[in-house]
Amino acid sequence: MRKLYVVIRRELAIWRKRPVYIAGSVLVMAFCTLFYLTFLGKGVPDDVPIGIVDMDNSTLTRNFVRQLDATQLGKVIRYPDFAMAREDMQKGVITSVCVLPEGMYADVQAHRKPCFTFYVNTLYFLGGSLAYKDILTMINLTSGAIQKEEMMMKGIDEQSIIGQLRPIDIDVHMPGNPTMNYGGYLSNMMLPGVLEMIIVILIIYSFGTELKYGTSVHLLEKTGNDIVTAIGGKMALYTLLFTFLAFSLEFILYGWMKFPLQGSVGWMLLNAFLLVISSEAVGLFIIGCVPVLRFAISIGALYSVMAFSMSGFTLPVEAMPAGIQGLAAIFPLRHYYHIYVQCGMFGTGFAGCWKEIVHLLLFCFIPLAVMLRLHKAYLYQNYPKK
Amino acid sequence: MKDTYFGNWLTDVWGVFCRELKTIFSDGGFLIIFFVAGFGYPLLYNLIYRNGVLEDTPIAIVDEADCQASRRYIREVDATRELSVARKCATMNEAIDLLKDRSVNGIMYFPSDFGDDLAAGRTAKLSIYADMSSFLYYKNLLMGSEFVMLDEINRVQVEKAVCYEENLPYNRTFSYSIFLISAILMLIIQQVMFYGSSMIAGTAREEHRSFATLPGNLSGYGIGRVAIGRGAVYWLLFLGVGIYITTIVPAICGFPQRGSFWDILILLAFFVTDCVFFCFTWSSFITRRETVFVLLLFMSPICIFLTGFSWPDCAIPRFWKMISYIFPSTFGCKAFINLNTAGGSLNTIQPLLVAMAIQTMVYYVLSCISLYIENKAVQRKV
Repeated sequence: MRKLYVVIRRELAIWRKRPVYIAGSVLVMAFCTLFYLTFLGKGVPDDVPIGIVDMDNSTLTRNFVRQLDATQLGKVIRYPDFAMAREDMQKGVITSVCVLPEGMYADVQAHRKPCFTFYVNTLYFLGGSLAYKDILTMINLTSGAIQKEEMMMKGIDEQSIIGQLRPIDIDVHMPGNPTMNYGGYLSNMMLPGVLEMIIVILIIYSFGTELKYGTSVHLLEKTGNDIVTAIGGKMALYTLLFTFLAFSLEFILYGWMKFPLQGSVGWMLLNAFLLVISSEAVGLFIIGCVPVLRFAISIGALYSVMAFSMSGFTLPVEAMPAGIQGLAAIFPLRHYYHIYVQCGMFGTGFAGCWKEIVHLLLFCFIPLAVMLRLHKAYLYQNYPKK
Repeated sequence: MKDTYFGNWLTDVWGVFCRELKTIFSDGGFLIIFFVAGFGYPLLYNLIYRNGVLEDTPIAIVDEADCQASRRYIREVDATRELSVARKCATMNEAIDLLKDRSVNGIMYFPSDFGDDLAAGRTAKLSIYADMSSFLYYKNLLMGSEFVMLDEINRVQVEKAVCYEENLPYNRTFSYSIFLISAILMLIIQQVMFYGSSMIAGTAREEHRSFATLPGNLSGYGIGRVAIGRGAVYWLLFLGVGIYITTIVPAICGFPQRGSFWDILILLAFFVTDCVFFCFTWSSFITRRETVFVLLLFMSPICIFLTGFSWPDCAIPRFWKMISYIFPSTFGCKAFINLNTAGGSLNTIQPLLVAMAIQTMVYYVLSCISLYIENKAVQRKV
């Protein structure tokens, strides 16, 4: 126990001497939290620019354009001809173009069913789909308004008109994110992903620098050649630091920002803690396998960048090729995501997430496989130096 | 030739070039990043996102109406590309349990008066419940059920007053991969170069052999020679990587290639030059080899957001918009999307090329200044 304390004090002294440890964890996390929460602060983008080529310029089309401009989602930019609008769409200045053909009003009057044409640049995924939704809604409303007017003139009563105009209505429920908040949706997973990244890298860095600068022998001297105490002492301190960061993150997300959460926040805290210890285990495993800081940290970087894609919160894992799907399991973030969905979104509690908890706990055993190697490396420094 | 200014210049640049090339290829950490991230990741990302479209999302049906109309609706929903009817449940509770199990990703509920309302000419309501854990589930559920609704409406409704025709020219199926990969490819070039060159710079400073100490025979001159000599190494290497990433990888993976090869090459020349001096400028703050990962690895996902292709430009707060001008990727990714995937011409991306050219000049000056300062500091120490 005393030795453990000695290791912790030694590590604290290292932190004081080299600010990179605190900067690399607390500062980075603070910056990222600030970034994602302010960058995506709007939740849902509004005033998405929509290009309009109005070749009719009648009361009907002008009204359509005004209405489209008045929606929360859209903002209209007018173009004299299609070529210019298309160029701007290709540049990404606007994500969609809506063409109102010449003679539209006259065609409507004569029951000739004129045709709106619209183009969407779906390479800008979110902006494109929002513009698409907005234009489609407005076209349907315009069509409905014209039909309603006609039917009223024929003397059909209001009730039947609505029944005819909108025979089927879909009532959409979005449990877990009722306001369609993209900001919340993305930061909920991006920020834990950043945390995992920080943990893996910093653990590799911390254990690797001991090797790089040859201080590992000194560390082992302090513990009487006991690698378990040496690792335990360092880990205890890091677990404390990262758990503090993880808990702060959860409180910011669900306490301060009030992103929707079913069930108790306790599950998310447990989840965050499991993410911390499993990511630490991964970091330790990597530096144990490759006890050369320069290689290990490159591998750690390559690994932790993949976690964002492989957690499957944007493109679901089942849409990936079969061979890749299994790989998702080696990223703690994937399991964190599962637990978040089960406990945070559906509120299923322990019954829904115990398998994932076991998964994350299993991560903690992998460093055992490299303990011996790490011990030897720490003691004899027997690894390629150059 | 030997003694002319230009001759000297050339010899010096060549010397620096060779030395840097030797350093790079004897550095294992750099080589891992260079080969795995530079050559492997573009392929890996393509593999992960190969089926960019989520198909046949399983849903549960709760049909309390059990009438001809609802049964036809269900059959049609099952036939859409987006959805597949995985289970039919007797009660809503059963369906909710399935949703919580994640055996289905959505529920469609027909209330008992669905058929009656439809027959009586009233608005019939149906409800959908989406799994919001990924927005693609939600999108599929919404689109699938709306397509069927529009089709059903056409059976009942009087003729529409106007019709519409939709075109999604560059990405017809709303494919997630075409959207994401286009931007990621360019970002990989920038990030690999940044982490790689920072590692090299950090190592040099650790070993007190800063490359800023100009070769002895230069006697204090030639900051430009060092910058250009070193830059040429990265420029050549990453132009190669760039050609591989922007032309060979898309060809291997069957990714749309609508831009002409020469246009892409011109874009790459601008982008890679910009990246070289961007990396030199920022790597002058890296004093130890590994700290670049500890302190700056988190920038990769942030750069993706800053390019403005995923989160629309109009919704980016002003402050972050300013910050985004620091990175070559902000212009490079967009230029590649517009040029290659949307099939634009050099004319389309001209403003972006100009922006990159300005950035290059600024970063060239900055990297020279930082070299100068460092050189002075090193000399003072000696």
